[in-house]
Order: sequence, then structure tokens, then C-alpha cells
Amino acid sequence: MDSKKIILAVIGLVTALAAAAQNVSDLILSEAVPCNTQGVTDGYGRHTGWVEITNTSQGTVNFGGCFLTDDRTRPQRYMIPKGDASTRLGPRQVTLLWCGGNADEGTYYTNFTLTPGGTVYLVSNDGKTFIDSLSIPAALPADMAVRKVARDNKKMDFRTESEPAVPSPMTMNTVGIEETGAQRMARTDPNGWILTLTSVSVVFAALIILWWIFTGIGRAFTRKGKAAPKKETPKKEAPADEAVAAAIALALDMEQDGDTYAAIALALHLYLSESVHDTESYVITIRPTAARHETFRKLPR
Amino acid sequence: MNQIIDSLQQFWQFTGFANCGWQNLVMIAIGIAFITVAIMKEWEPLLLVPIGFGMILGNIPMFPGLNIGIYEDGSVMNILYQGVRQGWYPPLIFLGIGAMTDFSALISQPRLVVIGAAAQMGIFGAYLLALALGFAPNEAGAIGIIGGADGPTAIFLSSKLAPDLMGAIAVSAYSYMALVPVIQRPIMLLFTTKKERLIRMEKPRQVSQKEKIIFPIVGFLTTAFIVPSGLPLLGMLFFGNLLKESGVTRRLAETARGPLIDVVTTLIGLTVGASTQADKFLSGKSVMIFGLGLLSFVIATAAGVLFVKFINLFLKEGHKINPLIGNAGVSAVPDSARVSEVVGRESDPNNHLLMNAMAPNVAGVIGSAVAAGILLGFLG
Repeated sequence: MDSKKIILAVIGLVTALAAAAQNVSDLILSEAVPCNTQGVTDGYGRHTGWVEITNTSQGTVNFGGCFLTDDRTRPQRYMIPKGDASTRLGPRQVTLLWCGGNADEGTYYTNFTLTPGGTVYLVSNDGKTFIDSLSIPAALPADMAVRKVARDNKKMDFRTESEPAVPSPMTMNTVGIEETGAQRMARTDPNGWILTLTSVSVVFAALIILWWIFTGIGRAFTRKGKAAPKKETPKKEAPADEAVAAAIALALDMEQDGDTYAAIALALHLYLSESVHDTESYVITIRPTAARHETFRKLPR
Repeated sequence: MNQIIDSLQQFWQFTGFANCGWQNLVMIAIGIAFITVAIMKEWEPLLLVPIGFGMILGNIPMFPGLNIGIYEDGSVMNILYQGVRQGWYPPLIFLGIGAMTDFSALISQPRLVVIGAAAQMGIFGAYLLALALGFAPNEAGAIGIIGGADGPTAIFLSSKLAPDLMGAIAVSAYSYMALVPVIQRPIMLLFTTKKERLIRMEKPRQVSQKEKIIFPIVGFLTTAFIVPSGLPLLGMLFFGNLLKESGVTRRLAETARGPLIDVVTTLIGLTVGASTQADKFLSGKSVMIFGLGLLSFVIATAAGVLFVKFINLFLKEGHKINPLIGNAGVSAVPDSARVSEVVGRESDPNNHLLMNAMAPNVAGVIGSAVAAGILLGFLG
């Protein structure tokens, strides 16, 4: 395998991993009410059992083509229809699927019902991979829910609650009120001194680390240069170059004002100190393997 | 005949004359003033001309509902404005800045990096003042970033923290960047003695290309690991610099520092200007933002100069730093470095500080991006 193929393979792998980072595996079954007699009603005005799906990722996930089942041996029992735009679930959004046993009623109606003591599974669109499951306690009272709650809102770490809960359909199951950073700072640091001291320390720390690193790197390169002096034409002395550059800048500056002159001075300095580079590698990268006609332009320009 | 009169009356209702208020005229006058200053004085013309024209464009009085205004969903201006609102343009500008900035002054004198950190005090000073004036923490953070003297960073942070104040913040930041020579000089003179202004600094050593290639990689890893929330700005800045320094991506570097940054600068200037519609811009808050912005520049300059004087207490004679390069810690490149050179020359015509001042100047770009990342992390 030549290097080009390896690079392409790596790019393909990275792309696949990036694509997988925000896919159906980010979905969870967050809540279910098998016996709904007084709660929310479906599109037909009936009290139907339901299961809730939550997108825990920060990207939109299309769950059309995924499967729901209450039987682990039949992972493809109910397929959520593809091609329905409403199956695109936004970041940190939830949706309900009605489990009335008749899939002909629409996109969000499953062909099975939920039963206490059973388990409902969410299966990936490959029909094989189980993404998530939610076990319904046998003793779950009517109109009560089994649900998963996120203890950590940022990490979206969902755990199943041991006790039956009051249903909260179409609501993210999180603990406590999620406040913004600004609200938190207004509460904990109303005068701003803590944030100021912290931030100034971090800015200094970041730049001091850069200082140390580049002092070390600079010393290493200076030592290396001294250890093995190259036979080169004598270089112009930097101080003189700078003086020339600065003098030109000043002369121009006295005549007129403008950034252009500072740029000219800088460019002159770099040129005189032989710091100008950006030279091409001069490596020809076009291989004569393609047929001649493939290199022709398709249209005259 | 009546129909014609009715049509004309109806047409009149659609014209700018019928919908014009004094606020629109004030904003149009400010826009014209920006353009005039940019052309006559050549103060930041690449930014002030688009912003000034954008102000005029955004304040043409019009009948609402025509789907042409910048705040009307789906209009052309609204689509272009999304680059500002969503924070897409600033990282692209940072890509161009990275591709045009030579960090060799900083690499050769790494100790001067910390001056770039000291000058960020302007950001946090303005943050404290804004809080004291009753701004919410997120608004105070967005206002404070004006003190970084970095337009794209100001737009990026305000788009995330306080989108409603973005117009005033961006205009304030760019206005004071244009006024850097006017604002900084008296502060530099106030905080330095004649003797200090005569300090001659060591000449920067020559930097090898390998060091220049290592810099963006190590610099990015260091800063991004410390402040991941600054990733869009820091990543693009160092990536652009790597394109420049690698020596094998000349075309990409030229595109980044040429056509790309020109296109984005045009769009960002025009849309930021257009976002300053009178009904949203002319308010007491905008006046306070302008005041705080000025103070943040003053604090940043003073902090940079005073920090150098503080460092000098620990340095031996012959290794001391001229405090006149302290002002260059704000990231208005290369204006503030040029101010150091000019003010230094006033005291000693043979003392050239330009190259020394470039080190804290480019460090200021990094420092302001890091500060923006911190504020976003805390207040976002």
C-alpha cells in the first residue's frame, strides 16, 4: 500500500469516526408509560402508552429507519418510517412514540404495546445493533413512568430511576435547573473579582508556558547552531538591518503617516535578515499516470 | 385620477422619506463620518469604510415586512449577517491573520510574551467596571473584550455572549483600534520617565525556519489545552501561521491572507455596520459601551507599560526593557508597535523599538484570543 492510499484510508477512517460521533448511537430511550389512562393524548385524542426518545448529542440525529421492539429476538419488529422530516431530532431534544399496537396510524405509532415487566429496545438502522433499552418494572402503577434522568447535564449521563416517576413527556429529564454560565457567575461572583483573578492567572499561565517552551527551543537551536557552524557566506548583522529598516520606516513616517510604512519596514527587515521564506518545495507532485484526455478541460474557458 | 393619487400615496408610504426618523439620520451621519475619517485620515480604512457604509445601508428607513432588512429572516443581508451572528467570520479572519503574521519577533524574545498577557488587564478592568455599572456578567464580558483591541475577537465573543450588544461593541472596538495612536501616546508618556524612554533593548536574534514551523504547533497545543473554548480563534490563528511557515503551502497561505481575508473583512464590516440599526443602536447602553471601551484601552495600555516597569525591577542593567513597548501588548497589529517606535524615537531618534514591540504585539493577539476563550468558558 503506497503512502497515498494510507493517507486516504486515514482520512476515510477519521471521516467515518466523525460521522459516527453524532449518529443514532446518541439516542436513548429516556422514559416510558405503558399504562396511560389520564396523561397526554395521541394525535387521535386517545390515552395511549408511549415511549420517549432523547437525543443526547449536540448535533441533529435522524432516527428514521431505526427500529423499536419489545422482543430482543425480533430487533426489526417496528421500523420508524424513513423519509419523514420530523424524524430529525435536534440537539438535546426529545420526542414521543405512541405504543398503541397499530403502525398504520402514522410515523410515531408502533405496532406493539408496552407491557409492565417487559423491555423496550431501540435498534440502529442496520436492524442488528441494539442502541438502548428501557426495562419497565412489573409493578409500575398506571399513569406512572419509568425514566432515565441525567445527573450531569453537560455529560448527559442518564441513569434509570429506581422509583416510579410522574410522567414528564416531551421534557428533558434532567435534575435541577440548568443555569447559564453568566447566571452562575452573577450568583457566585457578583462583583467579578473571582473571574478576573482567575482569568488573569490563566492568561499569564498560558503565555508564561509559551515563554518557557520557546526559551528552551531557542536555546536548543542556538546551541545546535553553535555546535555545527555551517560554511556559509557571512551573514549581514541583524542590528544593522534593523537600523536600516527602522530608519526607512521613520523617514517614511515623517513624510506621511500609515501602516503601509510599518509593513515596508518589517518586510525590509525580514528580507535583509534573510527571514523571508515561503519557498516551494519544488517537488513535482503530478504523476503522468492519467490518460491524456482526462487532463483536458471539459469546457473552453 | 384618484387611483393614481392613491397609488402615489401608497408608494410614498414605502419610501424612506415617509419612514424616516431622527435616529436614522443620526446613524447615517455617523456612517458618513466613519467613511470620511477612513478616507481623509486613512484610519483603518479597510474596516471603517465597510462599517460606515453598512451603517448607512442598515439605517435606510423602510417599510417593515419587505424581507430585505438585516433582522428579517431569509433576506440577503440577514443571510450574510449569520456569519457574524453565528461567529463564522472571526475565525476565518484569524486564519488570514495567522497567515500574514510573522511571529519571529516573539520567538526570538520569548520573555516579552508576558507583556501581551499584562495588556489583557484592559479586558478584565472593563469587565469589572461594566459589572459595577449594572451590566449582566455575559454583557460585561462581551464589553470587556473591547480592551483586547481585536475586532474579530470582539465580534466572536459578543456574538456568543451578548448578541444584542454586538453592533455597539464591534463599532466601539474598531473605532478605538483606529484611534490607537491618539489614545496610547499620552498614557505612555504619563507613566514613563525620560530615563526609561531612553532604554535601549537587546536586538532580537535571528530565528530559524524550523523554530517558526514549531511555533504554531506548540503554541496551539499549549494554548488550546489550557483554554479549549478559544479553539475556533486559536486554531485558525495557528493554522494560518503554519500554512505560512511550512513553506510548502504557499498557495493556501496566500489565499488565506489575501482573497479570503479580504472577502470576509468586507462582509464582516458591512454586516456589522448594517446591524447598527437606529432602534437597536441608539441607546444609553451604547453610550456606556463606548465609554467602557475607551477605558479598557486606557487600562490595557497603562497595564502593559506599568508591567514592564515592574519587570525592570528584577532585570540587570543592560537587559532592561523599554516600557514604551508595554502598550504594544494590545493586539492592534502593527499599529500599537508603531506607536512604541514613534514615541521612543521622540526621546531618542536612534532608538528603534519597532522589532522589539512586535513581540508583545503578536503575543497580544494570542493573549486576547485566550482571554476570549476564558470568558466564553465562564460566561457562555
